[in-house]
Amino acid sequence: MFDKLFKGTAAAVTLGLLTAIPAHAVDLQFYFPVAVGGGAANTIETLTQDYMKDHPDVKIDPIYAGSYQDTITKVITASRGGNAPQIAVALSTDMFTLLDDGLILPFDNYVKTDADKAWLEGFYPAFMENSQVDGKTWGIPFQRSTPVLYWNKEAFKEAGLDPNTPPASWDEMVAMGKKLTKTDANGNVTQWGVRIPSSGFPYWLFQGLVIENGGKLANAEGTETYFDSPEVVSALQYLVDLSTKDKVMEPGILDWGTTPKDFFERRSAMVWTTTGNLTNMHDNAPFDFGVAMLPQNKQRGAPTGGGNFYLLKGSSDAQLAAAVDFIKWITAPAQSAVWTKATGYVAPRPATWETSAMQDYAKGFPQVLVARDQLQYAKAELSTHENQRVTQILNDALEAAITGQKTPQEALTQAQAKADQVLAAYR
Amino acid sequence: MSRFDRYLWNGGAGLLALLWVLPLLFAVWTAFHPSAYEANFTLSAPITLENFVKAWNAAPFARYFLNTFLLVTGITGAQFVLCSLAAYGFARFRFPGRGILFSLVLLQLLVMPDILIVENYKIIRAFDAVDTLQGIALPYIASGFGVFLIRQTFMTVPRELDDAARIEGAGPLSILWRVYVPLAKPTYLAYGLVSVSYHWNNFLWPLIVTNSTETRPVTVGLSVFATTDSGVEWSVINAATLMTSAPLLIAFLLFQRQFVQSFMRAGIK
Repeated sequence: MFDKLFKGTAAAVTLGLLTAIPAHAVDLQFYFPVAVGGGAANTIETLTQDYMKDHPDVKIDPIYAGSYQDTITKVITASRGGNAPQIAVALSTDMFTLLDDGLILPFDNYVKTDADKAWLEGFYPAFMENSQVDGKTWGIPFQRSTPVLYWNKEAFKEAGLDPNTPPASWDEMVAMGKKLTKTDANGNVTQWGVRIPSSGFPYWLFQGLVIENGGKLANAEGTETYFDSPEVVSALQYLVDLSTKDKVMEPGILDWGTTPKDFFERRSAMVWTTTGNLTNMHDNAPFDFGVAMLPQNKQRGAPTGGGNFYLLKGSSDAQLAAAVDFIKWITAPAQSAVWTKATGYVAPRPATWETSAMQDYAKGFPQVLVARDQLQYAKAELSTHENQRVTQILNDALEAAITGQKTPQEALTQAQAKADQVLAAYR
Repeated sequence: MSRFDRYLWNGGAGLLALLWVLPLLFAVWTAFHPSAYEANFTLSAPITLENFVKAWNAAPFARYFLNTFLLVTGITGAQFVLCSLAAYGFARFRFPGRGILFSLVLLQLLVMPDILIVENYKIIRAFDAVDTLQGIALPYIASGFGVFLIRQTFMTVPRELDDAARIEGAGPLSILWRVYVPLAKPTYLAYGLVSVSYHWNNFLWPLIVTNSTETRPVTVGLSVFATTDSGVEWSVINAATLMTSAPLLIAFLLFQRQFVQSFMRAGIK
């Protein structure tokens, strides 16, 4: 009995040794958040498996790390605890936070050959704005998005509008919104013209309005904000007026998460929300819908959003080189196409859109191209040093103005003063 | 109490109970109906279990349930042992520095656990316990609240019982086990419930300190449904919520009388 056990153990150990020698020269940890439905985590795991099949000397452990917020907490905790992962996907706007804490490395050290350089230059410039500072690249765009306008073609027809023409300008959106707003016999609104959700992170969609209005919220260095500039104030005035003066949007704070539902149930004929919703809309909308760029005022415009790859400090050079190789692989056209189709995120490189997989996809679902075409007008999402605090200041101001506690001018002047205090240390 | 008063009390209690149970009712409604009926309450709506199937398949819940079960039983068991010993020491022994040590224990009640995440992580890493169930449990087992609560209960035990046991020849540990622990049963039950429900629902620390399916609790599985970028599917998320909270709810309903009684006696409300 004992003899048998011993032999078995010995055999197992020998087998273990034999299989252990060639494999896993490099171990990598990869933290990723999930912010869309439809099995995004499974897609990441499948892609990682595929990579390991081709690269038996690398073992990557993809680790689900919760929401974006949870992920950045986990990354910072693990890094400070001396156990940093090599790769993490986190919000592109977390770049300054990670930089100030000294937790990330630039990709430039690993971009040496011409092919590498071509890869780095192959991303849409709008996405690189949030990824580069001081001439160095700190983030590689991966799960990126941008807001677009979805409209209900049936509702447009019922209101006597051309179902194939979305509003192109702010004034048109208000004019169409008025036609689309329906009230019942008791004077209750059954269908609103438009919905720009404002819960949680209202600054994001608001930034779209600011860019369209020819303004900007912050400088590229993340040290100055312009919350009280005339363009920003009048953009907020427009947003507030949609509910109070024009009465085409439901008053109060509008929930972000229920926006698609609200659209499906015809309570809003037009909604502004992220391209991350495309697949959900496509599968669940009970009517024909269109996707348009955000309407313009002085110009077209939209913020970008979503997550970048970061390279964390605290690992060996071999690990980091392998990590960069993996990031290069997963952002290459073939893999990027798989990811975009599974999640609805905007493919961050023109090359991906040229693959036959993406072209077939776009043929059956042409709405996906709108986000891509809007990228030429897109600007970096608001990102500054002490980003969480500064965006919170702006969010609070927006909510105060939307709920009518303060006028836009008042709210934004106060917000600018607070942001100045926070950012003074970085100027 | 006049009859009118009683009606008022019962009416008020009923109203509060209704307010409390409404979200739960909504969760049950959406979980058992197709997503088209999320905000559309027609009695004839078809009943389906599909949401539960979807939720169950979205993450390895079977393993997560096992982990959570091991975790909460482990933490609560370890807390009982450690806190009883510490409480016994503080309640019945005189030693230099007792006052200071006890106020240090009380101080723990004032510190939010979230502030300590990085320090706790460093310690857990030094123990090489990152990504283990012990790693999740360790920061919680020496609970200041538990020590305080059990000490207060032990203080109310009459000295005479202690003395009687001593005359019978019982040592300190035997007195703790045969006199104090049995008399503090309601406190243990009440504290156990608080601890189990806290750790059943704890999310951030387990998420940070674990990396693999084998160690993660159900709350981590639940979080994959928080899909802010693509809109929330209420029917699936509510099915998942019911599924993950069901064991606690059922246990509470089964032992409701004991729990309520022990809360009254232990003075936690």
